[in-house]
Amino acid sequence: MLSVETFETIEEAAGAVGERSRFMAGGTLLMVAVNYGNQGFDRIVRTSDRRLGEISNAGDRVHIGAGVTMAKVAASRDLAFLAPAARSVGGPAIRNRATVGGNLFAPHPYGDFATALLALDATVHWADGREEPIETVLQNRGQSIGLAAAVSVPRPQADEFRFLKVARVKPKGASVMALAAWLPKSAGRLENTRIAFGAMGATAARVKACEAALNGTNLDERGIEPALQAATEGLSPQDDALASGWYRREVAPIHLKRLLIPERRL
Amino acid sequence: MTTIEFRKDLFADERVDDLKQIGKPTVRQDILGHVTGRSPYYDDHLFDGLLHMRCVRSPHHHARIRSIDTSAAERMPGVRRIVMPSDVPHNINTLLSLINFGRDDEPLLSHTKVSYRGEPVCAVIADTERQARAAIAAVRVDWEVLPHVLDVEEALEPDAPVVNEEYPNNTFDYHERYDHQKLRFGDIGAGFAQADRVIEGRYQMSPIEQAPLETCGAIAAPETNDRFVCYTSTQALFFSLGTTAKLLDIASSRLHFVGGTVGGGFGGKVDSIVEPMATLGAVLTGRPVKFMWDRPEEMQVGAPRGGERWYIKDGVMNDGRIVARSFTGFFDCGAYTRLSSYAIIKATGHLPGPYTIPNVASNVYCVYTNRTPATAMRGFGITGVDFAIESHMDKVAEAVGMDPVELRILNAYRDGDMKAHRRLAKNTALIECCQVAADKAGWRIGPQFAAASSLSDGGGDRALIGETVTDQEGRIGERRQRRIPFAPSERGTGRIAAGTAGEAVSAARPQRDDMQPEPERIGHKVSAADPERPAQPAAPPAPAAPPPQAPQPAQATPPPVYEPQAPAEPPAPQSPPPAQPEPYRPSEPFQRGVKRPGASRFISGTRRR
Ligand SMILES: Cc1cc2nc3c(=O)[nH]c(=O)nc-3n(C[C@H](O)[C@H](O)[C@H](O)COP(=O)(O)OP(=O)(O)OC[C@H]3O[C@@H](n4cnc5c(N)ncnc54)[C@H](O)[C@@H]3O)c2cc1C
Repeated sequence: MLSVETFETIEEAAGAVGERSRFMAGGTLLMVAVNYGNQGFDRIVRTSDRRLGEISNAGDRVHIGAGVTMAKVAASRDLAFLAPAARSVGGPAIRNRATVGGNLFAPHPYGDFATALLALDATVHWADGREEPIETVLQNRGQSIGLAAAVSVPRPQADEFRFLKVARVKPKGASVMALAAWLPKSAGRLENTRIAFGAMGATAARVKACEAALNGTNLDERGIEPALQAATEGLSPQDDALASGWYRREVAPIHLKRLLIPERRL
Repeated sequence: MTTIEFRKDLFADERVDDLKQIGKPTVRQDILGHVTGRSPYYDDHLFDGLLHMRCVRSPHHHARIRSIDTSAAERMPGVRRIVMPSDVPHNINTLLSLINFGRDDEPLLSHTKVSYRGEPVCAVIADTERQARAAIAAVRVDWEVLPHVLDVEEALEPDAPVVNEEYPNNTFDYHERYDHQKLRFGDIGAGFAQADRVIEGRYQMSPIEQAPLETCGAIAAPETNDRFVCYTSTQALFFSLGTTAKLLDIASSRLHFVGGTVGGGFGGKVDSIVEPMATLGAVLTGRPVKFMWDRPEEMQVGAPRGGERWYIKDGVMNDGRIVARSFTGFFDCGAYTRLSSYAIIKATGHLPGPYTIPNVASNVYCVYTNRTPATAMRGFGITGVDFAIESHMDKVAEAVGMDPVELRILNAYRDGDMKAHRRLAKNTALIECCQVAADKAGWRIGPQFAAASSLSDGGGDRALIGETVTDQEGRIGERRQRRIPFAPSERGTGRIAAGTAGEAVSAARPQRDDMQPEPERIGHKVSAADPERPAQPAAPPAPAAPPPQAPQPAQATPPPVYEPQAPAEPPAPQSPPPAQPEPYRPSEPFQRGVKRPGASRFISGTRRR
């Protein structure tokens, strides 16, 4: 039998999650597992904690509750820089349910929003109070048992943050790849660049060689050339029904170039 | 929105143009239910105490079943019944046995071996689907993995593993004589000799899953009067009913089948597997039972359009006329026959495509491989070979340096031409299609091609049937002894005199006179060879007549067989086809006039009302 338990607070829910149980947020993935007879768990844990759905400003960062939906992100004025990433997830019905927290744990090729969060150097706030950079959360995904209560992100300057999703079926297809770049500048040159790819490996990942090649350059064709060369260094894209790993690797530099130097479209 | 342009002018005198629907906006009869979410699908019928059935499936392409241990599964919570192959009263069938075509070759649940990945060997019926899944996972099958074959040509090697014991040569037996369906028209050997150039090509199409939104499924429940009701997603309600009656050895009058909205079919809901499974469950438990494929099952075991491979060889003159065309076709029917054998009959009737070619031959093989059995999909039997033919036309055009549209118009069939299956072509329209398409696409074609018409210059010499060369290659079982070529022989051993037409076989009379179609109400001209009317001289054969080599209905006299003059007899086939088994008869005679069925005492409502 499958049982469903609902708790008042995120802390209680966190305490109830263990072996053979799953936390349910929006349920867009979890309910598929239920409907398809996944035998890997027999308890579903939920919480009605309202804090999970809140968006708040704290200094130069924005806190986003793990239960905030993509639709809510897309509609939030404080999160306008993340709206393109939120809008790229599924269709309207999915966005009405899909949460920020669930996206951190969505398996390949999903995790478009997490890709954006990774480029923005988000911090994950666990239910037990711990804080952890998103990068290690993603790297250790699968082992880490715990509930994410919120994420927080710095607010980038206008045009410093860019997001691009490449899909075959528009506008709702899953990613062939997702790309996110945080491109802060100092005295006209790039500095502390962060480049993240989604759907180019088991989880969203940064490409540090590419970031290093961008630092200190201008955003022009010659300046970005070495970065394009290094676009997929360290990534191991998989074959799936959408694209082969080979294809992903081949086209990644082209999409990265389009992200860095947007073509003028007539 | 696009507007459709109807070129009714082209064939104005061929059709009574009193049609009132086409070209006008019309409300599809079922659309209101679909867009408001109220169309009742089989799964919307609610039953009290519904049980759920799921299958244990083979993880191997080909394996012998040493033993099945269900003891742990039996003890699992909620499990009501384990269904073994021995529970199926008549556990062998072939789908087309209902029209007397082919031999029974497929069990509902396999008992000795499995021949494709996903083949079911037993089933569990439990209170919930989850419990059924858990119990399935607890069934232990001891497999002896066998070598498998997944490629059609490899399957025809002399030492290829036997996929289907009923057809041990890995090919369907055509006309109790050959391991392929033959078509012979004229003399391709002479045609190739006469041609300026010979152009060959190889074309291949992968299997395609119909991918309906609603996966295949059925719910069956005991009804009053010792009957069973079955709500199903089937596309072929009476086919499913007949198949269930046969497999369960139950009078069809005891089955009450309810179809209705099909959540996407496209040919994939004809195979009638879920209905006998669900009904068997209801018979064995006395309770309503649902048997529904989940998405992975739909993709893995749901029969797709089969893969096909075609070799085409054309003899072409420098001016673009095709004077000979030879086909070698392989239909990958998977592990069991289902409908592929018949798709080949249809494909063969279609050759050489919509072109008039004086010399045509084809050998088409229905090949058993260790893949998911194939079935119908839109354009049944035709889509694959048409892809091959039209790709090849482009290749020929390039080779002779001709415009591909002009090449098609040059070779197109016209009204009154003789087709390769010895029937006169009528209502042809390829030329007009090419002209209109070229015009719409802004593609220039020469004036003589723009002026061509399907209605003129056909017939005459083009209606003649040349002397036809025959051969006896590819007897059933021959390929098990040695490699012999797959392609049609270009040096036949027999001759059929020029002008020999096929024998007209009249269609079976309808059961009741009022079922005879009235030509006035059909809207297009019908053949004068209607059995009801006196045949006019030189009338084409009746419409339902199969091509000369098509299977004959059981009672009909066998088709004339053309023996070669005096060739050396080919070696006797190694494995002659087993005698046709007794035609199936239900245990109880079919009764007419059963009382109106009472509603199942289990049904408790319908969702979304
Ligand atoms: C049709 C369809 C289209 C989709 N398209 C996209 C797409 O374009 N891009 C994309 O990125 N994704 C897509 N997805 C995947 C998914 O909808 C999103 O990734 C979504 O953000 C997942 O969030 P959820 O709240 O629905 O997760 P759930 O299904 O509730 O949970 C998913 C997993 O995450 C865990 N989890 C959830 N919240 C937390 C938490 N706070 N802490 C710890 N673990 C947690 C759950 O236990 C579960 O294992 C699609 C899904 C579907 C069904």
